[in-house]
Amino acid sequence: MQKGLSNALAASLLLGALALGSATPALGQAKQAENASTSMPKVGEMAPDFTLNYFDGNDLKPVSLSQYRGKKNVVVAFFIFAFTGG
Amino acid sequence: MKALQQDLKRLEATDTQVLGVSMDSAFANKAFADQIEVTFPLLSDWGGDVTRKYAIYVDKYKAARRVNFLIGKDGKILEEQVDKDAIDPTKIVDKCERPKLKN
Repeated sequence: MQKGLSNALAASLLLGALALGSATPALGQAKQAENASTSMPKVGEMAPDFTLNYFDGNDLKPVSLSQYRGKKNVVVAFFIFAFTGG
Repeated sequence: MKALQQDLKRLEATDTQVLGVSMDSAFANKAFADQIEVTFPLLSDWGGDVTRKYAIYVDKYKAARRVNFLIGKDGKILEEQVDKDAIDPTKIVDKCERPKLKN
């Protein structure tokens, strides 16, 4: 009797896990960006290259991480939203 | 960003370029930079492709997490600070000032 109960419990847990697993891809939005990865790059790994613009007051200016290779260290500081905190 | 600006001279003295990145528009980031008197570029990751590439996109806020990466001249990541730890960049500034990185 007890064994039957624990089997039922195990089955429901498994079902729950399956449901979570199938929901994850929808949450991850992985399809929005082709190069999206699932885990943050770690210390010792190569930083993924990028080219992004900033506005200097007159024009949009592109900056690539790779332009500093062999020349400078780079601090890349991701912040959440402009005009919120520091 | 203000904390990094305060440490900017020390960082520049160690051959280190500072780049801010958010998913705001380049124009909003320029206005933000002017307001808080930040002189390094605040880059626009409009659409979030780079934020997703670094796996720090937060679906709930449709924005990036607060993360500082220190990247060496060889392109490898030397140090990271995530979320609340990223508010004070001292750990990264200290790392830059270690003699090994000055070359």
